[in-house]
Amino acid sequence: MSTLLPPPKELAMLPVDWVEERSGAISFGKFMLFRNVPKDISWLQTLGSALITVFILQATTGIILAMYYQPTPETAWMTIQWITNEATLGWLVRGMHKWGSSVMVVLLFLHMGRTFLFGAYKYPREMTWITGAIIFILVMGMSFTGYLLVFDERAYWATIVGVNINGTAPILGPALSYILMVGPEIGTHTLSRFYSLHMLVLPSAIGGLIFLHMLLVVRLGVTSPPWSRMEPTERDV
Amino acid sequence: MPRLTARERREGYQREYAFQQRHGKPFFPHVVFHDTIVSLIVVALIMGITVLWYAQFGAIPTDPMAERTGGLLGPAYEAKADPGVLGYHPQPDWYFFFLFELLRIFKTPQLLIVGTIIIPTIWMVLLIGWPFIDRNPDRRLSRRPIALSIGVMVPIVLLTLTFYGSKVPAEGGVASTEPGAAAFAAGACSTCHVLANAGTAGNVGPVLDEAKPDYATALALITNGQGSMPSFKATYTEDEISCLAGYVATWSAAVGTTPGPGAATAKDYPASCEKAGGIFAGTPSSAAGP
Ligand code: HEM
Repeated sequence: MSTLLPPPKELAMLPVDWVEERSGAISFGKFMLFRNVPKDISWLQTLGSALITVFILQATTGIILAMYYQPTPETAWMTIQWITNEATLGWLVRGMHKWGSSVMVVLLFLHMGRTFLFGAYKYPREMTWITGAIIFILVMGMSFTGYLLVFDERAYWATIVGVNINGTAPILGPALSYILMVGPEIGTHTLSRFYSLHMLVLPSAIGGLIFLHMLLVVRLGVTSPPWSRMEPTERDV
Repeated sequence: MPRLTARERREGYQREYAFQQRHGKPFFPHVVFHDTIVSLIVVALIMGITVLWYAQFGAIPTDPMAERTGGLLGPAYEAKADPGVLGYHPQPDWYFFFLFELLRIFKTPQLLIVGTIIIPTIWMVLLIGWPFIDRNPDRRLSRRPIALSIGVMVPIVLLTLTFYGSKVPAEGGVASTEPGAAAFAAGACSTCHVLANAGTAGNVGPVLDEAKPDYATALALITNGQGSMPSFKATYTEDEISCLAGYVATWSAAVGTTPGPGAATAKDYPASCEKAGGIFAGTPSSAAGP
């Protein structure tokens, strides 16, 4: 009988081999983990991965908030109040989402500063910078659309000023304001439009761009710091 | 050293990088270890700020419509938004302070677009296009004097704008007892405008003592808004708007030696104020809020 079954060790590997044979996931994972990076890589180069962590944190806390939040002028403020005051640890989830956004903007500036000072946007990494820059602008869009959702005094009036800022653009401006607010004033449809932008449109755009950004980072490798003095010798070339 | 062609330089870089990678270290465990530590610190920081923020608030307010404030790090939430309420308080989140400050610098209607659209657009184009603007192939800072100076200047400018943008508009003086003055001082107008008669010192919008709008202009602006000024159709009644417009036209025109064009057309504005009643009717000071 025993000849029909492989030894236990191989038996345990069967599902792994099955997945590997069909997807290559295992060898891909091994490549990701054991690919080489330059020897003198520095702590400054951890900021990008910290941004991924914060993005995941924002997505998670955002999903939890969405389970309670109701985006209408009558209920938005009430549900925020309920989440903050009544829901178990609601204050923690809401607070981490709120402050996570500030930390994300700070990290974005630091990460951008790091790649700038390292000259990491130079050949061949121009596209890594461009995808990053677009992410940056979209994250500002996240902040703008998220701010209204609390629907308190400050959020309401700041959003009016913000929409009016868009409205000063030549030709397209007034149309843009109208589209953002879904009419001449902030109302029910404004709130659901901002909500949809904030939780569906912008996050998927940002998620997709982060994916592209990472694809480029893995393909091109991270730079070594500019103070690195490793020059190839004749033998290596 | 002979000058390299662009292509040779690119190939040279690829060779150099391939060398560094060959003599490098594996992503796991080295990078994974560092990344994990920094991510944990960042999450702990976010939790720490949140706890600090929340620990500052007292008991939950008994009035279900009340704001919940009292924290060092800002309110949990302010009162529910109500377009019909006078408390105009347009403060954005801190990372938009720079934009708010640009709005203050370029506050006249003709220049407004410089702060709202032109500068931000140029900034975004430069940001995205930067790899094509900086063509210097060197990565060492000592050989990138221009990039380095830009890299130092941009944060200084942004931090300065953010700092000034964070300042709450200055407190004004005392409103006169003219009809409309108290309403102007207590309401939305004072947040953004300087008007000597009302004793207001808001510094977001144009200085009305200088702009001297006539009655019709003021009426249109308050009703419909313009630029970053919101429309107050939903906030004030027709009489109230007429009262405010008349007040602004009359008393901005009264400032300085040459009377502006507004005064004549708005002489009978106190009638609107009378009809609007309350704080608009000009019963002195008691009504003028903080
Ligand atoms: C949510 C936003 C972002 C995420 C999650 C992210 C993530 C990352 C990660 C994980 C790396 C690997 C190296 C490192 O951590 O330093 C990286 C590299 C890079 N990032 Fe970002 N990034 C973001 C935004 C940006 C922005 C706004 C820019 C610039 C405008 C940018 C430009 C770059 C460049 C040029 C590199 C290559 C660096 C090198 O090879 O040394 N990134 N990014």
